[in-house]
Amino acid sequence: MKLTRIALIVYCVSGLGGQTGQDLADGKATFRSNCAFCHGLVGGGGRGPALNLGRFLHGSTDEDIKNVVTRGVPGTTMPSFELEKDELAHLITYVRSLSGSGPAHDTARVSGDSESGRKVYERSGCPGCHRIGSEGSVFGPDLTRIGAGRSAEYVRESIINPSADISEDYVGVTVVTRSGKRITGVRINEDTFTVQLRDTSQTFQMFQKDEVQQVIPETKSLMPAYGSLPQKDLQNLLAYLDTLRGVLNAGAGVKKEKGIR
Amino acid sequence: MRRAACYWLAFASLLPAQSVTYDRLVHALSEQQNWLTYWGDYTAVRYRDLKQINISNVKDLRVDWIYQTGQSGSFEAVPLVVDGVMYLTGPNGYAYALDARSGRQLWLYKHAFPPGRKADGVNRGLAILGDRLFMVTPDANVVSLDARTGRLVWQTEMAPYNNGQYTATLAPVVVKDKVIVGISGAEFGIRGFIDAYDAATGKRVWRFWTVPQKGEPGGDTWLGDSWTRGGGSTWMTGTYDPQLNTLYWGVGNPGPDLDGKVRKGDNLYTCSLVALDPDNGKLKWHFQFTPHDTHDWDAAETPMLLDLRWKGRDRKLVVEANRNAFFYVLDRETGEFLMGKPFARQNWATELDAKGRPMLMPNQEPSPEGTRLCPGLAGGTNFMAPSYNPETRLFYFTVREQCDVYYTNPPVYIQGRPYWGSVSRGITEEPEWGLLKALDPLTGESKWDFRYFHAPWAGTLSTAGGLVFAGDQDGYVMAFDARTGKNLWRLNTGNPIVNSPMTYVVNGRQYVTMPSGSAVLTFALPE
Repeated sequence: MKLTRIALIVYCVSGLGGQTGQDLADGKATFRSNCAFCHGLVGGGGRGPALNLGRFLHGSTDEDIKNVVTRGVPGTTMPSFELEKDELAHLITYVRSLSGSGPAHDTARVSGDSESGRKVYERSGCPGCHRIGSEGSVFGPDLTRIGAGRSAEYVRESIINPSADISEDYVGVTVVTRSGKRITGVRINEDTFTVQLRDTSQTFQMFQKDEVQQVIPETKSLMPAYGSLPQKDLQNLLAYLDTLRGVLNAGAGVKKEKGIR
Repeated sequence: MRRAACYWLAFASLLPAQSVTYDRLVHALSEQQNWLTYWGDYTAVRYRDLKQINISNVKDLRVDWIYQTGQSGSFEAVPLVVDGVMYLTGPNGYAYALDARSGRQLWLYKHAFPPGRKADGVNRGLAILGDRLFMVTPDANVVSLDARTGRLVWQTEMAPYNNGQYTATLAPVVVKDKVIVGISGAEFGIRGFIDAYDAATGKRVWRFWTVPQKGEPGGDTWLGDSWTRGGGSTWMTGTYDPQLNTLYWGVGNPGPDLDGKVRKGDNLYTCSLVALDPDNGKLKWHFQFTPHDTHDWDAAETPMLLDLRWKGRDRKLVVEANRNAFFYVLDRETGEFLMGKPFARQNWATELDAKGRPMLMPNQEPSPEGTRLCPGLAGGTNFMAPSYNPETRLFYFTVREQCDVYYTNPPVYIQGRPYWGSVSRGITEEPEWGLLKALDPLTGESKWDFRYFHAPWAGTLSTAGGLVFAGDQDGYVMAFDARTGKNLWRLNTGNPIVNSPMTYVVNGRQYVTMPSGSAVLTFALPE
């Protein structure tokens, strides 16, 4: 009886005092098994943006973070997660605890001359495969919000060694036709009997597997490695890409009709 | 004598053709035109001696009719067909009767969920006895419907709702005058059971707890009071041997799924096959495939009953391709382990010992950092039905080749909330794939494989036409040459298939049905 009362008091006090060490541990476990895969083991970023900067792309209140986790971010690779209320609360506690560990807010931007970086981007032929806003090719990943969606370290690796991590949406495939012609592109879809790809001229190519000689999955990225880019150019390019924080699918915004009551 | 004959004639004409006696269920395979139980008969061979559709003409198979529910959610049910009438369930408490020739609806039943209960959940089908149908509901009720009208006859709660902790998904099986059902919810900290209800009244006749309590045989295989939330769902239909009067039922995983520390021990009878007396629910024997499972490799896969010549002696066998990636052969009279061989990639057991117990590899437990292991959580195979062709003597089933990273974290039990003990995650760098595998059940060796691009959730059907029908995750329904594995026919249904095909005959015409998404698709040759 006495023990129960003490336990109850401890429980209430810890409730008043906010998060407990256990909450933080629970949040960490949830983070590791659900978030670390894209945002890094301690939130440093990767396929997903860094979460240790003390600022969040879609708002920094608890409510904002909750919305992002439970609804996902349409137009990005961030999915929605079904978590219990307390699990979510513990997760937010843990994510907030990471904030001190990253670079401070003002120094978060990548150093370098972004204007020079833009020229490196154009000179190196990047628009031949990538799109920014309404410019460039749709063959490769859209870079309109690359600065917001990926950590700088991830982008650097993607330029020097694109095969290090190939997004599922951009796996390459080569089809050898019966006449021996080889067509390589980004695999849009593949099933047991068919394969559909987008070739470098941004055109759909669609095949029935029993009508071709061979379908070869590409193990390497279709993007050439830019390891020979001078260090300064690379840094400037990263600085430029970091400024790209636009809105994907900009055309999806509703144009409001004026004058209608 | 003559009078009696007249009497029976008159009586028979009053009996609706669709009335199904227990005797008809016992001899279901002598009614090749019908499909009288979830498995097609009691043994689950899923083979039909029908050859109108065969390897030479299957290329001409086409959609004959489509029934669309207009509801959200996908079919996981295998229909029954009784003398020209098709009965099946949809998700979310629906049941349907259709004209099996045209797909026209005869009636529709919608389960009445009390306010505040979740009204969604998959369902795998119906059982029939006389002119009564039986199904379970997402809120863990057993209901009996009048097969002629779809009206509710009786309804019995299997377990308290407990905020959605208990749920039910399987197709019941009727044995004699009893409706036998199982429960789902091992992910929510339930204590599992198999129940029998009186078909006429809905009164419970017996219950077999799949998790014994302290003091009972097997009770010492659970740490402390962990048995009270030990899981052991029974979410797939069992098989039955009328001669041995024995029911064979797969028991699900222990709970919490991925955290074994709180439930040290073998955790009987989870991940086991139990053999029960259907008259009283008493255990005859058990065989545990995966002692102390921590990967959700439950034993809900089909326990198929085969009579084969085993090492020079005719034996009554039960064979099962288990979720843990091993194919097992047991003696179904005694439960004796006869053979167990891996059929998919696995890196958790070095081998099975003489009694069939797995010898574990190191580092196969889920961990806070994640442990990569094959097969993945969904297993080397799952609930999708296998089939056996007595002519080719091959066992045809679906293999999932996919590995996962398993995480663990001590869970907190709160009624009605998931009690997993953490999660598993697919590995994006490792492509998954699937196989349609033709396996010799006497040796466990493959005769042929057909490779699917993605790991499927659809089962198989075998026919005397030399065919195996199957489905895949990209929505194809397919027919294969049973001897060679050559794909002879396919059709893209436009939705992942989470189901198993079946076949029947009306007015001399053979049909093949494969529900996909919220549509029932039925195929036939052009008339």
